[in-house]
Amino acid sequence: MNIIQIHDLCKNFGDNQVLKGINLTVETGQIVGYIGPNGAGKSTTIKILTGITSDFEGEVWVLGMNVRENPIEIKQRIGYIPEQAALYDVLTPIEYLRFVGKLYQLSDANILTKSTELLRLFELSNKSDLRMNGFSKGMKQKVLLISGLIHNPDIIFLDEPLSGLDANAVILVKEILSQLKKAGKTIFYSSHIMDVVEKISDRIIIIDKGRVIANGSFEELKQNASQGSLENIFTSLTGGSEQHQETAKEFIDILNSGQHG
Amino acid sequence: MDKFLLKLILAFVQRFVRNGIDFDQLKIITETKILMDRRRVHVNYNKQKNKDPKNPLLITLIFYCIFGFFFAIMIFTLKSIQLSMIFFHAYLLVMMAMTLITDFSSVLLDTTDNQIILPRPVNSRTIFVARMIHILVYLLQFTIALSILPLIAVFVTYGIAAGLAAIVTSLLMVAISVFITYLLYILILKFSNEQKVKDIIGYFQILMTITFTIGFQILPRLIDFDQIDQSFSLSWYSYFLPPVWMALTVEAFKEFLFDPLHVGMIAAAITLPILTFWFMIKYLAPSFSRKLAAMQNSDGVAKKKTTDKKESRIFSERLSSLFCKKEIEKAGFEMVWKITGRDKGFKMQFYPGFAYIFVFIFIFVFKSGKNLGGIMEDLPNSNGYLWLIYLPMLTVSGSITLVAFYEQFQAGWIYYSTPIKYPGQIISGAIKSLFLKFFVPIYTILFIAAYIVWGNKIINDFVFGFFANAMLFMLTAIFGEQSMPFSRQFNIKMQAGKFVKFILQLVIVAVIVAMHYFALKINWLIWLLILPAMVATYFMIKKIKSYRWRDITI
Repeated sequence: MNIIQIHDLCKNFGDNQVLKGINLTVETGQIVGYIGPNGAGKSTTIKILTGITSDFEGEVWVLGMNVRENPIEIKQRIGYIPEQAALYDVLTPIEYLRFVGKLYQLSDANILTKSTELLRLFELSNKSDLRMNGFSKGMKQKVLLISGLIHNPDIIFLDEPLSGLDANAVILVKEILSQLKKAGKTIFYSSHIMDVVEKISDRIIIIDKGRVIANGSFEELKQNASQGSLENIFTSLTGGSEQHQETAKEFIDILNSGQHG
Repeated sequence: MDKFLLKLILAFVQRFVRNGIDFDQLKIITETKILMDRRRVHVNYNKQKNKDPKNPLLITLIFYCIFGFFFAIMIFTLKSIQLSMIFFHAYLLVMMAMTLITDFSSVLLDTTDNQIILPRPVNSRTIFVARMIHILVYLLQFTIALSILPLIAVFVTYGIAAGLAAIVTSLLMVAISVFITYLLYILILKFSNEQKVKDIIGYFQILMTITFTIGFQILPRLIDFDQIDQSFSLSWYSYFLPPVWMALTVEAFKEFLFDPLHVGMIAAAITLPILTFWFMIKYLAPSFSRKLAAMQNSDGVAKKKTTDKKESRIFSERLSSLFCKKEIEKAGFEMVWKITGRDKGFKMQFYPGFAYIFVFIFIFVFKSGKNLGGIMEDLPNSNGYLWLIYLPMLTVSGSITLVAFYEQFQAGWIYYSTPIKYPGQIISGAIKSLFLKFFVPIYTILFIAAYIVWGNKIINDFVFGFFANAMLFMLTAIFGEQSMPFSRQFNIKMQAGKFVKFILQLVIVAVIVAMHYFALKINWLIWLLILPAMVATYFMIKKIKSYRWRDITI
């Protein structure tokens, strides 16, 4: 069953067309890696799918519901973890999770049990009563992860969930994502870290300049592009490594040119 | 206007101040800051048309012009040039210092550019002067608005030479008010530990506000103008006061009187601001920037176990269950309760306002010119307690606007990603929280004080007053912009209207006090009015709760 369906999705910011007719479907229980260069339209797609942005062209269904018509019902059943670790950091993790939990209309007891336990898993138990303005980016990211999962959503949208996490936490998050998949959850995952996407995704969608340029399992992409790693496939599809070498060389030349003047 | 003033100030600085300042850096920093003030917009998560907020800066300028008008009349009517000029300059000093402390403290002590500017090779003096110039651009606009009419009055009444001198002395006066305020902040920063600085500044703002307001509002009431105009003479100590130097400077140019006294005063008027400025740049600026940097770093240290906060957490959670029905409303209630107690930005802007309550109680309740004993004796027979009922709302209602702003406003994304159908429920939770946290305690204290003085007869007034205030509070919320708590970016221009808004609210309060006063004539009427006030409050809360996303300014 298709849990996400996108049909001819376009989005403009003024004159700038960010999404130029995206078509894709996601099946229940899949982990989908959604990758693309900066400015390709990844975050915009996720904001539309999560009902945060309602101004777009085309049709989008999530959990069988139209995003435009049922944003609240959809939000109740999905989790979203944004890239930027923006949270009310004068609150403690427990207080922040209580706040978010209440926005999902969870009961006090439910929120307290879940947040205490999940914080323990992320080794934040001893910090659960400290204000988060002293936290590192990784610690805040962990709290954000919990806040996006606390209501046990059916689909989880992650926008660069690993940014700022230490190596151990990255392994833990990867494991959690695999377990969530086993539990029947669907995961829509946007990232720059290719090797993680390569390892955990059932399907990989590459988007560039507002269009889907590749869509399939890692094996399928490898066959089509005849390249080794996902990173190589990605660079060959979105610009090519030769061009990067050229750019890097030019970069150094420009830096050097100003040295004596 | 702001760009022109910036150019003017920069030209002045380039010519006269070279002491360790990198002018090119200074220019780009200040220009960028002004550009950012102009461009600052809210993040747009949802494509909704932003209602363009009315320009509070312009409104403030118009009101300052009106204040200036009264001083222009005073200059025409007072016979003594010394006296009118002392009043005029003292008024400039007080208004500027007030504006600086109430509206711009957060800019003065802003630590957000630390991350952007401190890692670059910019020296602390340049940063310090850039900060000062940024504020001066706005202060000069206020100065022009405040003094343009009085200055015209000086030109007309005392001639061109006196008028030109008055322009210079007004500017010097503004400089002095900036320096005094800055100097005090610097001294606080110099002699205290970083952890405590933020709290001290909060208390200090309250203290300063009280001092300046008392100076501005209460002292003139103790002076009999008619008498003073006839038998006016300066005492020896008045020669230490800046407004007197300025007044005598203007007088010297009017009369072309350059005796030792006047020359001395002119010298003091010119040299002192310059000396203070030099001293600050040379000795105090480096440590000021260092301390500010330290303040920001200490933001990142959360060593203190917040076990004490746990208590307040449980308290706010209990209250939310008492006063809110829906979980979403409770979420709004609790987070506003907690964050208003912890966020430095909110505390620094809101708490000083409490000083006004006491200052205005003094002005309105103890208004007669008699000695204190006599006033206390007459008090029980007066209706002065009416002011006690309505004055707190002046300050407390300010919290409604403030609660929308937050340094890390981006954290507001959470509202848009969670299933909130009626964002009004969050807002109603927030409003209830603010009312209970800030209004109820102070109202209770004032009720007890009033009960001791006036006895039983005030009970019905206070009961009715409670609901009338709740009604006023809800009205302020309904008529203002609807924003989610802590979701908007702080903007220096938004800050500008605070003092004027306050004066406007004072007028509204005066009208309500007058209405309540007339209702007092019929004793049972007050009891009868309680029910409608309660019902009205209930329906207003209901209205707020029903707001949907299209009603919210994002």
